Amino acid sequence: MSNPVSRREFMNLLGATFGTGTLIRVSSALGLLPAVAALTRPVLAAPAPGAGKVVVLGAGISGLTVAWELSKVGYDVTVLEASNRAGGRIMTVRSGDVVDEIGNRQVCEWDNEPHMYFNAGAARIPSTHRNLLSYCKELGVDLEVFINESKTALIQDDAMLDGKPLRNADVSTNVRGFLGELFAKSFTTAQLEQPFTESEAETILGLIRGFGSLNRDMKYTGSNRNGYASGGFIDHGVQKEIIEFKHLMKSRLIGNTLSANEGETGPILMQPVGGMDRITAGFTRALGERVKYQTPVLSVKVRADGVDVAYLQDGAPQTIAADYCFNCIPAHFMAGIENNLPAEYMQAMKYIRRGEAIKGAFQAKERFWEKEEIYGGISWTSAPIRQLWYPSHGIHKEKGVILAAYDFGNGMEYTRMTQAERVEWLLKGGEKLHPNYRQLVEKPITIAWHRMNHMLGCSARWGRSGGGMTPEEEALYHTLQAPALGRHYMIGDQISFHGAWQESAILSAHWALADMEQRVRSAA
Amino acid sequence: MKNSAVTVSSLVLGSLLAAPALAQSEVAEYYNDRYCMTCHGADGMGSEGISAPRLAGMEPWYLKRQLENFRAGVRGTHPMDLQGREMQPMAVPLTDASIAELLEWIGGWEYKPAEITLQADAAAGAPLYAACASCHGSNAEGNEALGAPALAGQNDWYLVTQLKNFKAGYRGTHADDTYGAQMAPMAAALSDDTAILNVVSYINTLGR
Ligand SMILES: Cc1cc2nc3c(=O)[nH]c(=O)nc-3n(C[C@H](O)[C@H](O)[C@H](O)COP(=O)(O)OP(=O)(O)OC[C@H]3O[C@@H](n4cnc5c(N)ncnc54)[C@H](O)[C@@H]3O)c2cc1C
Ligand code: HEC
Ligand code: HEC
Repeated sequence: MSNPVSRREFMNLLGATFGTGTLIRVSSALGLLPAVAALTRPVLAAPAPGAGKVVVLGAGISGLTVAWELSKVGYDVTVLEASNRAGGRIMTVRSGDVVDEIGNRQVCEWDNEPHMYFNAGAARIPSTHRNLLSYCKELGVDLEVFINESKTALIQDDAMLDGKPLRNADVSTNVRGFLGELFAKSFTTAQLEQPFTESEAETILGLIRGFGSLNRDMKYTGSNRNGYASGGFIDHGVQKEIIEFKHLMKSRLIGNTLSANEGETGPILMQPVGGMDRITAGFTRALGERVKYQTPVLSVKVRADGVDVAYLQDGAPQTIAADYCFNCIPAHFMAGIENNLPAEYMQAMKYIRRGEAIKGAFQAKERFWEKEEIYGGISWTSAPIRQLWYPSHGIHKEKGVILAAYDFGNGMEYTRMTQAERVEWLLKGGEKLHPNYRQLVEKPITIAWHRMNHMLGCSARWGRSGGGMTPEEEALYHTLQAPALGRHYMIGDQISFHGAWQESAILSAHWALADMEQRVRSAA
Repeated sequence: MKNSAVTVSSLVLGSLLAAPALAQSEVAEYYNDRYCMTCHGADGMGSEGISAPRLAGMEPWYLKRQLENFRAGVRGTHPMDLQGREMQPMAVPLTDASIAELLEWIGGWEYKPAEITLQADAAAGAPLYAACASCHGSNAEGNEALGAPALAGQNDWYLVTQLKNFKAGYRGTHADDTYGAQMAPMAAALSDDTAILNVVSYINTLGR
């Protein structure tokens, strides 16, 4: 570093290197990191006699939330679910389970042990998602910590150092060293424009030194922050060699080593012990017979004083008349379900596009990552699998389930592949990170949400412009959030600004319940 | 709901699609065999959210050919044919016998004309349709002898995609797609997207 750097150049460099905007946009579907939600459970009164019949369409977590809250105060609730399981995009795969992908049905043949599972949809619960956590507590769902970042996990990019995988800590330490030096230099420039007192300047320089692991002369000469190359316990530690920034900056992935613990994945993350579907099981246990399975909804007709729903049960059409209806069926299906919903409501519904998401998993014959000092966390690669997740649970057991790919928001190529092509694609990606991966894993499961029966997509896409919602889109959103004829509520994370989080689905349910309660009260 | 057909036929289909799937494994879990409707909508009325067209009321001979074409990869394999590539893998597991049973099943669905979603210049589309009538019939009722399906009553957004795909060479260009090859030059003759929208608007005005 010989030339001084202006602040503008500096910020540009940062932006170009890390694509900060991109990172934040990726971490939240709509470019917004919401504030911690208050606990929003509405206070509900018991229904008036003869006016407490409710039908819930879809046993997604939003539907289950509505059903649970209303049945607690005495409503007569029926949940109609098309699939043979509740939970929708909360789906855990374990031994014997069927992956109901249309045209590519799979049966999981992993060892039948409690830790041998894979969360094919929702997998992480941030500590700030208070409403979801409150249901976990209420329904007796045990939680454990989910390890999102492991400094011993890997970063691999074909464009960086001939594709050699690097440890996360080796990347972040050297990136911070480089940035630290840069900060120290730009600080001198900044000082000219806005003078600091001597003690302030000292504080700032101390901060920069600590950030970059710099020496007294504000130079980065390597660090033991990423561990020693050898020794260090009972003999002298040998410092690792510096990896020059010019090599590291070849990869867009290096930013992940600084940002994995920020934003929505910043707070302590958790997972239910035994799989995310323990949450669904908590609800369905509490709801009992109220949830009907394999009862796909065929038609929804709203009246001024209620809603008529037709559905199929054991191959025969049935109908149910209710006072209120809460509907978490994905919007893209409603266009194909007979209904008399208002035209502007359907127009809003049809505006939504289906989101994309794919995952994959293998049974690992041995927990090979633990031999590489990796316990939990994520490795990143430029290969299209993008991520490998090492399980946070089952440490030191014989085998484990490794998440072999995760792309949220993309993945149509994978979706269109045959199962055999997908498996090869997963193996090729994994091999980039662990050379003998192919020999170490078996029994693949592939998940393409675009083809999962009764879902056919991931989180609804409201914004088409790439950023947040335009004012027109926001108007459509509010149209769909409001109840049709005051009787039919669309719910789910599709009715939120922050798709793909269970908390959002729950908050949409709470919003609808509060709105209904207000209408019931003002009618009384 | 006046569709008892669904009842009978889902049992038929249950036997044909569930059986081979279950044979793969010891696990006896109910397999949902109603997967056509997941995409094609309740009663096969078409679903715009999935871009999957109405099947109810479709001529069995045309339905059969499309399923066979999808299964063989004659349709729905062009990299740019995004909708076709959603359908194509759905047909791959089908056997001749299961296609025959599907035809019977779908034949029992109640036909409802598709909702009109397009507002373009139907009057300008009328003369354009003259070229189509020789094969598809003057009321777009279809002509089995020529292998040209009915267009009237089909989802207009779907007709638009097909015309665009034929024109761009995403459909009808596979070497074995004999019937598609007859249709493709007809779409090519439509000068642009506006012409496509206009001709489909005209088809919307024909008997439904
Ligand atoms: C890959 C992936 C990763 C994710 N990661 C996380 C995460 O880490 N943390 C987190 O909190 N969230 C995560 N999510 C998001 C979370 O799973 C969803 O936000 C949440 O589960 C949505 O719930 P919902 O109530 O909107 O209903 P959905 O889950 O969308 O359920 C809809 C239900 O409707 C049913 N249905 C469909 N058609 C019919 C019909 N005709 N009749 C009756 N029922 C019907 C479906 O079978 C389904 O059960 C992830 C999602 C995916 C896909
Ligand atoms: C994953 C969703 C999906 C499923 C499941 C599905 N389809 Fe399709 N299907 C589509 C889409 C999308 C199209 C439109 C293709 C295009 O635009 O070229 C289509 C097109 C078709 C066509 C062509 C129609 C025409 O006018 O040419 C037929 C026939 C068809 N499907 C039959 C079926 C049958 C029978 C089943 C059940 C065995 C089925 N589909 C299941 C999505 C699906
Ligand atoms: C020479 C005869 C012929 C003419 C003329 C013709 N078509 Fe076709 N068309 C066909 C055939 C045959 C098919 C079926 C192709 C297949 O089986 O894949 C077809 C298919 C179609 C389809 C797809 C239908 C579906 O359900 O997928 C559309 C849309 C269509 N034609 C519109 C038109 C229009 C509009 C015109 C006039 C501009 C036209 N056709 C002219 C023969 C013709």
